[in-house]
Amino acid sequence: MTPGERGAAVMSYSVAIVGALLLQSVSSQNEPSISTSEHTTLPVEGDSYTLQCNLTSTFSLPQESYWMKNGEEIPETRTSNRNTEYKLTKPRGDDAGWYMCVYTFEMSPPANATIEIKSAPNIIGHKRSENKNEGQVAILYCKSVGYPHPAWTWRKFDNGVHREIDNTSGRFFINSRDNYTELNIMDLDIELDPGEYHCNATNMLGSSDEMILLRVRSNLAPLWPLLGVLAEIIILVVIIVVYEKRKKPEDLQDAKPIQPTTTRTRISARGIQTKRPVC
Amino acid sequence: MPPALANGLGYKPLDGGWGWMVVVGAHISIGFAYSTPKVLSIFFKEIQQNLEASSSEIAWISSIMLAVMYAGGPVSSLLVNRFGSRPIVMLGGLLCGVSMVAASFGNSIVYLYLCIGVIGGCGLSLNLNASLTIISKYFLVKRPLANGLAMAGSPVFLCILAPVNQFLLQMFGWRGSLLILGGLMLNCCVAGALMRPVARPPKRPTSAPPLNEAKEPPKTCNTRPKMGCVNNGKKFLDFTFFKDRGFVIYLIGNVLFIFGAYAPIVFLSAYAIDQGVEEYSAAYLLSITGFVDMFVRPATGLIASSKWIRPRIQYFFSFAMVFNGTCHLLCPLVKSYAFLVTYAVFFGVGFGMVFALIFECLMDLMGNQRFPSAVGLVTIIECFPMLLGPPTAGLLVDIFDDYKYLFFMCGSVIVTGGLFLFVMNIYNYHMLEKEKPAKVREQNQITMENQDQLNISS
Repeated sequence: MTPGERGAAVMSYSVAIVGALLLQSVSSQNEPSISTSEHTTLPVEGDSYTLQCNLTSTFSLPQESYWMKNGEEIPETRTSNRNTEYKLTKPRGDDAGWYMCVYTFEMSPPANATIEIKSAPNIIGHKRSENKNEGQVAILYCKSVGYPHPAWTWRKFDNGVHREIDNTSGRFFINSRDNYTELNIMDLDIELDPGEYHCNATNMLGSSDEMILLRVRSNLAPLWPLLGVLAEIIILVVIIVVYEKRKKPEDLQDAKPIQPTTTRTRISARGIQTKRPVC
Repeated sequence: MPPALANGLGYKPLDGGWGWMVVVGAHISIGFAYSTPKVLSIFFKEIQQNLEASSSEIAWISSIMLAVMYAGGPVSSLLVNRFGSRPIVMLGGLLCGVSMVAASFGNSIVYLYLCIGVIGGCGLSLNLNASLTIISKYFLVKRPLANGLAMAGSPVFLCILAPVNQFLLQMFGWRGSLLILGGLMLNCCVAGALMRPVARPPKRPTSAPPLNEAKEPPKTCNTRPKMGCVNNGKKFLDFTFFKDRGFVIYLIGNVLFIFGAYAPIVFLSAYAIDQGVEEYSAAYLLSITGFVDMFVRPATGLIASSKWIRPRIQYFFSFAMVFNGTCHLLCPLVKSYAFLVTYAVFFGVGFGMVFALIFECLMDLMGNQRFPSAVGLVTIIECFPMLLGPPTAGLLVDIFDDYKYLFFMCGSVIVTGGLFLFVMNIYNYHMLEKEKPAKVREQNQITMENQDQLNISS
């Protein structure tokens, strides 16, 4: 390379670098920066916890700001302040999640910052036992609270051992999404399927386990009690009829005739009825 | 004071002995009839999930069953008049059992409407009418007690069937439970077997020669009553009842009562929850009412059988109605759970008193011959207030958003019915007293005619 060409290359490199730096400083000057309160893990000390967002280093005032939880806007949090906060009173498991404060501007795109409130999972919704008939579909479900969203596993407790669910028959379907999981069992089998099923939710902070008892009823089970009841009815009817037939030879007079002119005591409210001949 | 009796039976009823077994049979039969539509609601949630129907579609099953049970009254009275009580109760039990068993195989809601609602309802209506009729044939002096004991079947079976159904549902699912319930309802056939027909004594046991007697009675028996039987067959609904003053008074009072009677039951636990009581305690209130009802009905029957009340039984009936209505009127004043329990107890007392007497009074008014047809007519007319009452009350709750108007409406309607009965019965007895001399003359004339015929034939 000639000295002149070397000088030109250095010149162009330095222009590019300066240009990039300038661009960087300009854009960082335009891009708003938000300072937030710390990420935290539940449970916290004290009765409440406040999430804060302060809008720093921007030359334009925000139009408004609001909070979102887990991707959905929290109602009644819209203000036009630079500094905004959201208070969680007595934070519990279902307060965990990812919170975002969002600032909207007139002339520039909105800015946001995320605060994560983490907690260990806790299974809150499940049925203790499920009774279904054989051949039907059983849906076992578990709901949890906590963040980050847990990884779900289903196991069956057989003979004192936790076992993975054996899906060789292809009847088991697991649908898991965020804080909800479902185990669908098609075409229930009365031999293989009844037992204890465990849903397990695990995230980086901990895990939670719950049991659901599945009972499968046989379709023929009610036949025996039915036969028992029918037998009882037939026996009773036979006894009553036989008793009646045996009493017939002896004088089975239930009613005695009366002479029409006997005076009777006042018992009914009706007037004297005219006699009608009875067939 | 009610004038002298003629029960038109022509024989003195047993008033005991086998009659008590008949009361047991009637108890079972009436128990199933009144409690089955209510306890079926325990299965509704599972049926709803299984057949994917809406809540209102499911609720129609009970309503159709009740409606058919009440509307089938005239048909069942026709059959009872023709065949007697025993075969009808056995047929009713068979229909109910078959309907439940058939329903357990159902796959659509309309199939359940047909099986449980229509066929089951027919079976129950046959049961109800026939059981009441046979009591009137076996009892006279102790009839209120027998009626009270038989009507007590309704709360007893409600208290038994509710937990049994819950247990069956858990063990066998709704299909198995309906199957077994069908078998249990066949116990109505056992009840029917107990209802031995009353053996009629021979008509003229006097010393007339057998040959002539064999000729005469069949002639007079066959010609005139045959037209009567044909007339009964033709008249599906016997409208001549409406000419009877006592019947019309009874009917109006009853319609008013039934309109207001069932709504408080339907809405009691909702009202309690609204007042801040928790769910289980609110459900408990209805059990208290049912439990009290169980003992009040026979007790009322016993009281009504006593010689002071029996002649004035219609007044006792109106007192019971006014008591029931007053309970409802006072209910909105109570707010705490303890007072709600007290209300439930008094409600049970009032309800039991009225229902123990409701058919006894009709028997008292109509006499044994006309009772089956009368009760059929009364039940079909009662169908309308029974079906209209709870929805109207619900509408009031929706419009005013306050339960107290429901209780005011029901209480005032029932009190009006009771007072109406009281006043009109005084008037009715007064008119009967006036008509008595004319009737006595007519009766003596007929007796003399009969004696003449006897003299001619001998």
